[in-house]
Amino acid sequence: MSLLQIKNLSVEFGSDKNPFRAVEGLDLTVDQGEIVGIVGESGSGKSVTMMAMMGLLEGQGRIVADQLEFDGKNLLTISARERRKIVGKDISMIFQDPMTALNPSFTVGYQIMEVLKLHQGLRGAALKARALELMEMVEIPAAASRLSAYPHQLSGGMSQRVAIAMAIACNPKLLIADEPTTALDVTIQAQIMELLVSLQQSQNMALILITHDLAVVAEVAQRLAVMYAGQVAEMGKVPDIFRHPTHPYTEALLKSIPEHSKGAHRLSTLPGIVPGQYDRPSGCLLSPRCPYVQERCRAERPALTPLPQGAVRCHFPLYDKESR
Amino acid sequence: MTTVLEARELTRYYDVSQGFLKPAATVKALNGVSFSLQAGKTLAVVGESGCGKSTLARQLTLIEPPTSGSLLLDGVDAAKADRATLKTMRTRVQMVFQNPYASLNPRQKIGDQLAEPLLINTSLSAAERQAKVRAMMAKVGLRPEHYYRYPHMFSGGQRQRIAIARAMMLNPRIVIADEPTSALDVSIQAQVLNLFMDLQDEFKTAYVFVSHNLAVVEHVADDVMVMYLGRAVESGSKEQIYSRPLHPYTQALLSATPSIRPEDRHAKIKIVGELPSPLNPPTGCAFHKRCPHAVERCRSEVPSLRPVEGHLVACHRAEEINV
Repeated sequence: MSLLQIKNLSVEFGSDKNPFRAVEGLDLTVDQGEIVGIVGESGSGKSVTMMAMMGLLEGQGRIVADQLEFDGKNLLTISARERRKIVGKDISMIFQDPMTALNPSFTVGYQIMEVLKLHQGLRGAALKARALELMEMVEIPAAASRLSAYPHQLSGGMSQRVAIAMAIACNPKLLIADEPTTALDVTIQAQIMELLVSLQQSQNMALILITHDLAVVAEVAQRLAVMYAGQVAEMGKVPDIFRHPTHPYTEALLKSIPEHSKGAHRLSTLPGIVPGQYDRPSGCLLSPRCPYVQERCRAERPALTPLPQGAVRCHFPLYDKESR
Repeated sequence: MTTVLEARELTRYYDVSQGFLKPAATVKALNGVSFSLQAGKTLAVVGESGCGKSTLARQLTLIEPPTSGSLLLDGVDAAKADRATLKTMRTRVQMVFQNPYASLNPRQKIGDQLAEPLLINTSLSAAERQAKVRAMMAKVGLRPEHYYRYPHMFSGGQRQRIAIARAMMLNPRIVIADEPTSALDVSIQAQVLNLFMDLQDEFKTAYVFVSHNLAVVEHVADDVMVMYLGRAVESGSKEQIYSRPLHPYTQALLSATPSIRPEDRHAKIKIVGELPSPLNPPTGCAFHKRCPHAVERCRSEVPSLRPVEGHLVACHRAEEINV
């Protein structure tokens, strides 16, 4: 059985009269020890999906799902008390901006130890020793002296390492990394990604990597979900998708990377932007921007269709050239 | 080919307070950078945060004077120019900033913001200004009705188009773009990069393109200058830098850049540590603490930028490590 099973998850914001579906009918499974990438442009619902699962949208969004199960526990019906025992322990998360993810008023040592006190009941010397061990695991130099440092005394890369140390403190089964390297320089990005993957392997964690950087996903993830305007557009194994994308949106994203058009004067682009609350089209959500759009796409919203190697949400997927 | 911009040994030092009663320390943000830029060409400046890229951009736009060194715009030295000359020189260098959410005035309509450079620097009538603004809006892909809108009504990509249009209003010789696409999604980034290329083709504008994204730089640049801690460590044509990088730092940057194609993936060169503090830079070569090839000489002697295999490299061991 999968570690995480999400079936038909929808998240709605706004009033009952005028709801806005940030996530619509999302299916996702993650197995133990697997790296799954979620990519898409801003506003495609990547982060909201994960926050809904962690229960971080309480009082803001309405969450509906057929199934939302983690490690055999139903996250939809679980009490707040039970949830607190899971979140931060078995599921943990690291965020995009390490500078704002840490509390500026407390030392990094205190913040790491807080997690250990709460979830593992460690005290005294054992607590301090474990905090130090974690700091060393994330390769922070001079870890012993850094325990008493405040977040503003650390660089962005170091802060992100501290955030990772906090996230892995209780040996989580699932680590969600929401754009973990977007705010960092390329050499530091490479260091952090290498650290995440080596920790993922040594701890046999599942890792969900949310990013808009396709190249990062291509290098580390095994499976990939491409999201567009709150829906999964395409899902499958990383090598398959990068070699033969079946959804026009995936193809357009890959083509718009400068690396793809080496030597060309112009980059290939996808005109327009992700539709917002008021301009969602009635048919396929990509139809106003899709280069292959046909009559049927404007009228009828496609469903996510299973394929042998994954799934795609398109009336005319790209492997099926004859139907065009 | 005419040289529109030439920098000779530009330096910029800042004094920073170390605290009450302590002497101020000096940060050498820019420590002797030289280059020249030809009309209609693009120079990309690459490096990590804190390497002096943005300080360089500020010098080039004449926002602040350099501590030493000289800057020649169309052959005229900016340091020796009088106020009136400086004013006309400033119209020839324009800037596009990283964050289009912060670089536009939220209380001014787009049409007025685009007309402002004309209002200040030309004697055109209101009708002529409006006609010019509308023509430029059409060129950057904005619709006529956008003229009366405010910045918050636009997406990030559209705002960057507005910022580019504003920079192009005075038909500058040079546009300095400081990380213009790093706040944008990849599909929007492609649209904005195409716009930069189209405008360059039409107006023969020279660009100084500051970026840390090597994939973007490879697409837009003619020449590349790699900076580390206030100095250029390698500079040359794009082909030279990408096909045969000679400086260990350039090699590390290129190998750290993730790739979508397995066959393009480089064996990762492991670079340990982070950029040292510019307050307390290492002796000798600034890169030696992170360099896999560092020897004794690198710790004591600052390498100078010298020609190796047709481009410039600041490394004592450039020949030895690249056989």
